[in-house]
Amino acid sequence: MNRRQWIYQSAFGLGSAALGQLLAADKRPHHQAKADACIFLGMLGGVSQIDTFDPKPKLIELNGKIMDWSKEKKTDQPNLFAKPRKFVASPFTFKKYGQSGREVSNLLPHTAQCVDDLAIVRSVQSDNGNHPAAVFQMNTGFIIPGNPSVGAWVTYGLGTANKNLPAFVAMPDFRSIPFSGAQQWGSGYLPAEFQGTVLRAASEPIRDLASPSNVDPKLIEAERVALRGINSAFQQERPDNPDLQARIDSYELAYRMQLEVPRVLSIDSEPDAVKEAYGLNDPITASFGRRCLMARKLVEAGVRFVEVFTPSQSWDAHGDIKKNHEKNAGETDKPIAALLNDLKQRGMLSKTLVVCMGEFGRTPDTPGEQEIPGRDHNTRCQSMWFAGGGAQGGSIIGTTDDIGHKAVEDIYHMHDVHATILHLMGLNDMRLTYYFAGRNRRLTDLGGRLIKQILS
Amino acid sequence: MRFWLYLSITALAAADGRLLPLLSQHCGSCHGGTQTQGGLSVNSMESLSKGGKHGPALALILPHITGEKTPRMPLGAELPASVIAEFKSAIQSIPTQAPIIDEHWSWLLQNPAQSAPPKTKNTAWPRNPVDAFILAKLESQSLTPAPVANRRTLLRRIFFDLIGIPPTPEEIKSFLADPDPQAYEKQIDKLLADPRYGERWGRHWLDLVRYAESDGFAIDGERPTAWRYRDYVIRSFNNDKPYDQFIQEQIAGDEYRGKGTGPQPDRIVALGFLRFAPWEADANSKKQLRQDFLNDVTGTVGSVFLGLTTGCAQCHDHKYDPIKHRDYYRLQAFFAGTATADLPIAHGTVENPKEMKRQQRLHDDESEAAQAELDRQREALKQKYMSLFQVKEDDAKVKQFLGKLNTKNLFFLDQDLPLVKEPEWRQPLKNYFDTRDKMQREQELARRYQALAYAVKDVAPPAAPDVPDTHVLIGGDLIARAEKVEPGFLFKTTPAEIPFAGGSNGRRLALAEWIASDENPFTARVIVNRLWQRHFGEGLVRTPSDFGRNGEPPTHPELLDWLATQFIERKWSIKSMHKLMLTSAAYRQSSHHPAQKEYAFNDPGNRLLWRMNWQRLDAEVLRDSILAVSGRLNPVPGGPPVLFDVPEDVAQGFEFFKWYPSSEEEQRRRSVYLIQRRSVIMPMAELFDAPNLSTSCARRLTTIVAPQALTLLNGALTRTEATHFATRLEKAADPVNEAFWLALSRPPTETERQTAASLANKSLASLAAVLFNLNEFLYVE
Repeated sequence: MNRRQWIYQSAFGLGSAALGQLLAADKRPHHQAKADACIFLGMLGGVSQIDTFDPKPKLIELNGKIMDWSKEKKTDQPNLFAKPRKFVASPFTFKKYGQSGREVSNLLPHTAQCVDDLAIVRSVQSDNGNHPAAVFQMNTGFIIPGNPSVGAWVTYGLGTANKNLPAFVAMPDFRSIPFSGAQQWGSGYLPAEFQGTVLRAASEPIRDLASPSNVDPKLIEAERVALRGINSAFQQERPDNPDLQARIDSYELAYRMQLEVPRVLSIDSEPDAVKEAYGLNDPITASFGRRCLMARKLVEAGVRFVEVFTPSQSWDAHGDIKKNHEKNAGETDKPIAALLNDLKQRGMLSKTLVVCMGEFGRTPDTPGEQEIPGRDHNTRCQSMWFAGGGAQGGSIIGTTDDIGHKAVEDIYHMHDVHATILHLMGLNDMRLTYYFAGRNRRLTDLGGRLIKQILS
Repeated sequence: MRFWLYLSITALAAADGRLLPLLSQHCGSCHGGTQTQGGLSVNSMESLSKGGKHGPALALILPHITGEKTPRMPLGAELPASVIAEFKSAIQSIPTQAPIIDEHWSWLLQNPAQSAPPKTKNTAWPRNPVDAFILAKLESQSLTPAPVANRRTLLRRIFFDLIGIPPTPEEIKSFLADPDPQAYEKQIDKLLADPRYGERWGRHWLDLVRYAESDGFAIDGERPTAWRYRDYVIRSFNNDKPYDQFIQEQIAGDEYRGKGTGPQPDRIVALGFLRFAPWEADANSKKQLRQDFLNDVTGTVGSVFLGLTTGCAQCHDHKYDPIKHRDYYRLQAFFAGTATADLPIAHGTVENPKEMKRQQRLHDDESEAAQAELDRQREALKQKYMSLFQVKEDDAKVKQFLGKLNTKNLFFLDQDLPLVKEPEWRQPLKNYFDTRDKMQREQELARRYQALAYAVKDVAPPAAPDVPDTHVLIGGDLIARAEKVEPGFLFKTTPAEIPFAGGSNGRRLALAEWIASDENPFTARVIVNRLWQRHFGEGLVRTPSDFGRNGEPPTHPELLDWLATQFIERKWSIKSMHKLMLTSAAYRQSSHHPAQKEYAFNDPGNRLLWRMNWQRLDAEVLRDSILAVSGRLNPVPGGPPVLFDVPEDVAQGFEFFKWYPSSEEEQRRRSVYLIQRRSVIMPMAELFDAPNLSTSCARRLTTIVAPQALTLLNGALTRTEATHFATRLEKAADPVNEAFWLALSRPPTETERQTAASLANKSLASLAAVLFNLNEFLYVE
């Protein structure tokens, strides 16, 4: 039994938050961290490994030929696999890049230039081929709702480095937010203080951050003074309830956030070259680019964990792999490269872990009757990458079969990705536990395997 | 599930004879007899535990034969799934540790003891037997209880506790002036009879049963008539329905044969309890979806009614408690014939059937009109498209275009239809989607009024010839079916006797009657502990849904048992237990003790209850209180859910549904009536620790974070209601005084009066906003 949690939980009757904050201040990593912060780029819908980082020349000769699925018992989408299917060669061409000479397709011309900073894992598998369950697993380790997200676990383990900002921030694309909305960055059964705060692209980045515009700022200040006065007097007569002081402190933090957040997020002050690099001047890249730039600024200001998501199911290229992936790469490739370069130029990349992945990979084939080829869901392999923060740039891990249908060597699971993120941030996934409903819970359930080959 | 990693070497000694023959047959040619490839021999459990060059081998068997680890064994051949399942089962059968019935469990398995309240030295303090138990424990540690709280504090305490709304100035003043020695007791009776009591306590029950009005997962489809269960719960609390009946209705209302038998709509509505788990409507595997439902029910019944973490035995024997893996499936077998179903019911006796029908018809009519308009617009768009591209109606392009019109929204249309960007198309397309919105909204409203219960039913002949078999599933895995089991009660070895019960199969009835029985050692203890927890802030068992060895032991086991026996004696009446607890001296203590420092040092968690615990308002109570104080709480009870406003950018992000907020007036109703949609939790509820709606919530946390302050300082609720509160105050002779009485049930102190008056002179609304943000507003002493 983890005593610390027992104390934490049992103490709620007395002065939960005060004690919680006491413990939060005491948070230390389990071991020396390589990364102080993590930026997680969620490519929702599932990116095709075959068209990005895992070239399959064999598919060129197989293109259009019928795939025999009779030997495969389990498929992710039974309905789609009941009928004949045909192989699809990648519509994109591959070239070697960088000193490491890693192959990247011409779908990602900008990211390709950064390949020496990427540790690419071609063999990540997951448990469920349905988007909602798979997105849950990517974000929380489990295919069912109700569990804390990776960012919540990290915050629970490490606390915050900037008391004036939320420690964990999520930036979905509001054109289409991830399934189940806030549960994807929620704290599950962990206390609510570890939940991700949503930053919106709208004028007000955090809900209710700004004082009401129809109230005179002088009045706001008078309210603040009155509130503090009455609350302090009440607290002084009841010093034995630590919650009262904790709540007074939370108001002071809220006032500081009102000043700090707009300052940190102000993009206007960024040089034009930076705005251009992130693609803010182009309506296609502006949305993702803006959020990537905000991610960099937040990490710079001490935020622990930042998530940036593409629209829900955006990469889901059933209908037309070429058109879909060109559109989505067009929105994200340039901003992602800009983020990596920017972090590097500022000397932040070595201490900032960047992770880029989707909820699963895609199939090497398409339904036989489909005229324009697409690719369907594939949980047996996806190519994802780590960069910075202790990940060995230029490395490549894992092998898939010659048609890119499944990983065959150095196979890793989503839990292993999570264990590796925690490890690089100084946390041991077996030791990061929380007692809930009868037992100590973990992000990685019964434990993940470290992807050792990516460690620098 | 990698449970086998946990097997210890010592457990190997106890292995039975199933594994070795399997190993010999399939692995023996390389690792058996004199063959020891890689240093590994499978000749004996000892040689397995010693292992080969990769270390102890037991934990490696499955990863290598399933191919999870390379090389896949046996080399050059894949074992059939059936053999792998045999391996799994054999490894699973190696006992981890025998269930130990220790002191804790032997107490738990015995029916609550009918013990006499202990004698205490101080005989003046105890007001009822509850106090004797509390005081005896305090005296044994040479502690004294805190003094009684003042009358204002007491009244606020029972108001928030029982109805979740602060007293009005008139109510508090008349109580303070009431000379009757029974004035406090009278107030308790009054509040227990108040219909708002059910709205407050029903919410506690909804927390426990993972109540939600949508499926969760991607589609998060609405459960349009789930609200009837919410109203059923509220009614049940208000009517003080005996708890044993309440249990039976929720597990087997359709088979109920207790008092007042007969077809009552409420008994069907109650079955919703079994069905509130998240539901992946578009799951790839319907078999797995069905198993998920069964697993949820097995776990939830155990935790809610029995206070046992039965769900832990889904994949293996319980690691802490004497619940075997097999027991889990014996419990699950009670639900083997149960399927989810929306069942037609006569409109409840308390619903207004005429009004329900009228509303349904009204919205049906509206949606039909919108449908006609939609068809017209669709036709017009089609013609426009055909003339633009000079194509005929049967052209594939036209078909494709019409297909796009079925898409989710303009954004998705944007992606593949550049046309949308043309100005002369934009407006008609927008009109089209607006009309579709209106139609969908009306359809959505009509569905909520249907006379349907969100429930379950038994699959009976001829639809299903027999109740499906239940098998133990190794590792909880559907394909790893092992021994077949019959329905059986926990801790009883013989199969349960199943009474015949009409069109259903009677299994759930058997379970319900076993749980709701005077003889069940868990049921009464668990519920009285839950009642205690809500009144005192902490249960006597502080892990209210885990009475097992991994939970916390009871602080006052004798009191818990005494309360349980009282509860049964009082015919499972929840209200009578409220009265018993609330009239105790223990409950009336001040939350401050003169010797606080010293006492808190020795007992920081106040386990001995030497003072009353502070409580922070629940999210719903906070919101309701703000509305009550501003004078704008809409008291209309029951009915379809209320949809709150969400920010525009959030509203546009839902892929499978649109969000249609209710009218402003509707939105001022009590929080218990707000829609509980899994993917759209009200921001304020989320911030103030409301449950996440996915799993049973036995106990809410109370966190203190800055975004709570932001929302109370700047949010629309505070600011709007502050304005109305101010309007209310303007009429008062002494607005500052009235403001304090309304918000805090007391006049301001002299210092407060100065501060408040100076602010009120600038703006009464600002004073109102400040009051909503006070610690004293949010915390109950």
